[in-house]
Amino acid sequence: MSNILDYFKYRKKLLLSLILLLMFAWSLFSVSWNSELLHLGGASMIMKIFKSLFNPEISSEILTLALKSAWITVVYAACGISISIVIALMFGILASGIMFKKKSNSLVAIFFKSLLGFMRAIHELVWAWLFVASIGLTPFSAIFALAIPYGGILGRIYADKFRDVDSKPIEALKSSGAGPIQTLFYGYFPLTLLDMLSYTMYRFECAIRSSTIMSFVGLGGLGYQIQLSLNDLNYNRVWSFLFFLILLVVLVDLWSSSIRKGLIER
Amino acid sequence: MSKEEIFKLNNVTKTYGKTQALSSLSFSVKKGETIALIGPSGAGKTTLLNLLANLIKLDEGELLIDGLDISEYKNNKKFACKVGVIRQQFDLIDQLQVIHNVLAGRLVEWGTFKSLLSLLIPQDKNLALDALKRVGLTDKAYEKTSTLSGGEQQRVALARLLVQNPKVILADEPVSSLDPARSRDVLSMLIKLVKEENQTLITSIHSVEYAREYFDRIIAMRKGKIYFDLPSYKVTDEELSKLYNITDGVIYE
Repeated sequence: MSNILDYFKYRKKLLLSLILLLMFAWSLFSVSWNSELLHLGGASMIMKIFKSLFNPEISSEILTLALKSAWITVVYAACGISISIVIALMFGILASGIMFKKKSNSLVAIFFKSLLGFMRAIHELVWAWLFVASIGLTPFSAIFALAIPYGGILGRIYADKFRDVDSKPIEALKSSGAGPIQTLFYGYFPLTLLDMLSYTMYRFECAIRSSTIMSFVGLGGLGYQIQLSLNDLNYNRVWSFLFFLILLVVLVDLWSSSIRKGLIER
Repeated sequence: MSKEEIFKLNNVTKTYGKTQALSSLSFSVKKGETIALIGPSGAGKTTLLNLLANLIKLDEGELLIDGLDISEYKNNKKFACKVGVIRQQFDLIDQLQVIHNVLAGRLVEWGTFKSLLSLLIPQDKNLALDALKRVGLTDKAYEKTSTLSGGEQQRVALARLLVQNPKVILADEPVSSLDPARSRDVLSMLIKLVKEENQTLITSIHSVEYAREYFDRIIAMRKGKIYFDLPSYKVTDEELSKLYNITDGVIYE
């Protein structure tokens, strides 16, 4: 009996992989493999969209419109992420429990951990609907709708980073007489800065995409223009706006790696 | 208790589960002494140092630091004025400039605002530069700490202790991760600075050779007890080989 148990214990990974593989194979049977699987006009539609990829609409009118919309999208994302960083730092420090003697046992830590969980459990698009319904189609709706779930995500990551910090230098700081806030600034922040920064920059990139999607709700920006062009079946124009979106993401990526590089070399 | 004693231990006991890490230790340390703690791994050297550093609590017995019971040191600032700690080189914040790691020794004195300001404009700069000069690292003040070698980092930790200026320095295997040349360099500097400042030093150390060469007094530990406690010139080779002998049955009783 114990032999069988031992066998399962050591082959756990293999067994699990097998089960998952079988489940995948089984799931294939639930698909009805007939002509209804694909929309009849789908192929020609895809070709049309694909062709217009090489032929985006480039007129000064569209370019200025795209530039303006891109600007709105970036501003929403930047404002949203800025507020979320402030929220995340405050809540993250409290949720990590590093300011208290008894680490995770503290009620405050549990409270803020749950609060962060609540904030990020609701998607930014849902927050956007809620805010549009309550305060209307203003930029604030977009910014708050981004700031809340992103604050939840960033706060969670910050809290984890603070908790995972190497305890030896922190203990050394405390034994040389540093108080909680001094330990935070001389220990936790410098030790985690690089990780937190690169994750935050990645989240800023995500925020730009989210901000694009959110403007489908009617909040202006690139997403709104994409939606309008899609409604007109004007795929060439859709691609012009999409190229602006790609450009934004690439720019943020370049910016983030140049900041990282600067920090590492300093 | 005489005023000359900085540490006094009376029947200090510490147990972890079933293992007795320290069993009724009693000894005292005079001001200005330099003491090496030696003994095989698991003898309780680190436990003893952590106890003296107020990092762990004792189970039974009494521990006086500079005439006060250890429980009377409620916050770490008051304690840090008396006792400074140095461990292996992993004690520094790698990402900060050397000068900020040195100035961390001033955090005892500084309020919150001054400590934050110092990260932008180093405060009490001359104090830090003077300490760095004494450990021979003047030119490294504004380098990032992680770019320094192991021996240099340990000297930065010494500079931090100089700035903190406690009455006692506890060192837990301060040279165990350094090569022999670097070890001698750091140890002789540590001893020199301690003598100059008239501080007391207690160091746990693996190398018996260094213990005899650099320290006034050697306390040998084995199985949580003091095996011998002698001035270093009185320690004989015979006693040392007994201390590290595994087969005489003490370890597997």
